[in-house]
Amino acid sequence: MAYTTFNRTINDQMKEPMFFGNPVNVSRYDQQKYPIFEKLIEKQLSFFWRPEEIDVSKDRIDYQNLPEHEKHIFISNLKYQTLLDSVQGRSPNVALLPLVSIPELETWIETWAFSETIHSRSYTHIVRNISSEPHKVFDDIMLNENIMERADDVTRYYDELIDSFNLYNLCGAGSHTVNGETKSVSLRDLKKKLYLCLLSVNVLEAIRFYVSFACSFAFAERELMEGNAKIIRLIARDEALHLTGTQHMLNILAAGEDDPEMGEIAKECQQDAIAIFQKAAEQEKAWAAYLFKDGSMIGLNKDILCQYVEYITNIRMQAIGLKSIYSTTQNPIPWINAWLVSDNVQVAPQEAEISSYLVGQIDNQVDTDEFDDFDL
Amino acid sequence: MPKVRLTSGVELEFDSQANLLDALEQAKQPMNYQCREGFCGACRCTLVSGSIRYLYEPLAFVRKGEFLPCCSVPDSDIDIELP
Repeated sequence: MAYTTFNRTINDQMKEPMFFGNPVNVSRYDQQKYPIFEKLIEKQLSFFWRPEEIDVSKDRIDYQNLPEHEKHIFISNLKYQTLLDSVQGRSPNVALLPLVSIPELETWIETWAFSETIHSRSYTHIVRNISSEPHKVFDDIMLNENIMERADDVTRYYDELIDSFNLYNLCGAGSHTVNGETKSVSLRDLKKKLYLCLLSVNVLEAIRFYVSFACSFAFAERELMEGNAKIIRLIARDEALHLTGTQHMLNILAAGEDDPEMGEIAKECQQDAIAIFQKAAEQEKAWAAYLFKDGSMIGLNKDILCQYVEYITNIRMQAIGLKSIYSTTQNPIPWINAWLVSDNVQVAPQEAEISSYLVGQIDNQVDTDEFDDFDL
Repeated sequence: MPKVRLTSGVELEFDSQANLLDALEQAKQPMNYQCREGFCGACRCTLVSGSIRYLYEPLAFVRKGEFLPCCSVPDSDIDIELP
């Protein structure tokens, strides 16, 4: 049925599939078909942070003292991260919200995309601090061939899904001629586009981001650009949650109980899935070659980063039930784990970012004997 | 003390460590990890036999036959396989 912002059909939300059922009407969480999405929302909210909380002033001095080839590595990496979060801050909302049929998933998608917008704002915080001409850094993103090449693959599946759904929403299933161009659309084809889109999102969050994290943390391992690393650490903690969310969606769809047709599509798309992972991994290796084109840095070079790409690709494929495609089984940069541990994000308790830190925890149970030694 | 046997032949005793991930690391096993609180799923392993108990419900997707050592302890002697 056509999308509406408040669906008037009285429906049982517990019987709706995750996607392509009735659009959501009441945002209610008293009953949940998939409680995991509510738990993810709560976790994400407990992670809330703002870039301004992190002092990046020492990074400016560090950056000025970096040799040129390391400046290239650092700033290119940051530009790539900016591209990824620009896409992720809006696309889940634009592409997925009109297709969702259960409220807890709808709110998870909104919460997820919102946290990506914080990441985008933190890149501006970092760039403003290390450069007196931040506009040059951002302007170059659109002019940099290596980044734009990546943008194509990162956005293609989102755009195809949005384009197809718009046509379906307006004209329904069938073959339609719009502006002299004939396109056909069917619900099954849309479901396939959604499944491929989620796979590509998973690749973005679970592989592409991690390659960039490795570069950020490689500087901090040498006690350089540590403010940046603190921010990236918070971003990495968020991303670990996002990729778990996407893995849940993919696995629920593939199991077929939610929507049997989706289960069939997931089986059908297995080769496409492997191809999406493989292509992304190869692109990330090409990116590694671009980063290190003028020289390596201590602790990280092109070969090590490529091995990490293979290692992380294997792990992410296994997580959604695919067989690994590379022979690398060992993490070539085990030091990255220490940077990725969520509670290491926090060093001093007063900095209030501990993931288990809950706001407004009050004990409402007071026994009368609590006042025993109380005199007026 | 429950025994933890790995398919690689390594055997260790779970001796009141906080969780299975700590125990496996102490035994010098190459473990994948990230969040260490059950939401990233990086440490997932296969439970071949025996049973484990979660200290709290993990948020990560855990497939049938898999478990997350970062937030679990053995409930009996267990056989596990590392990825």
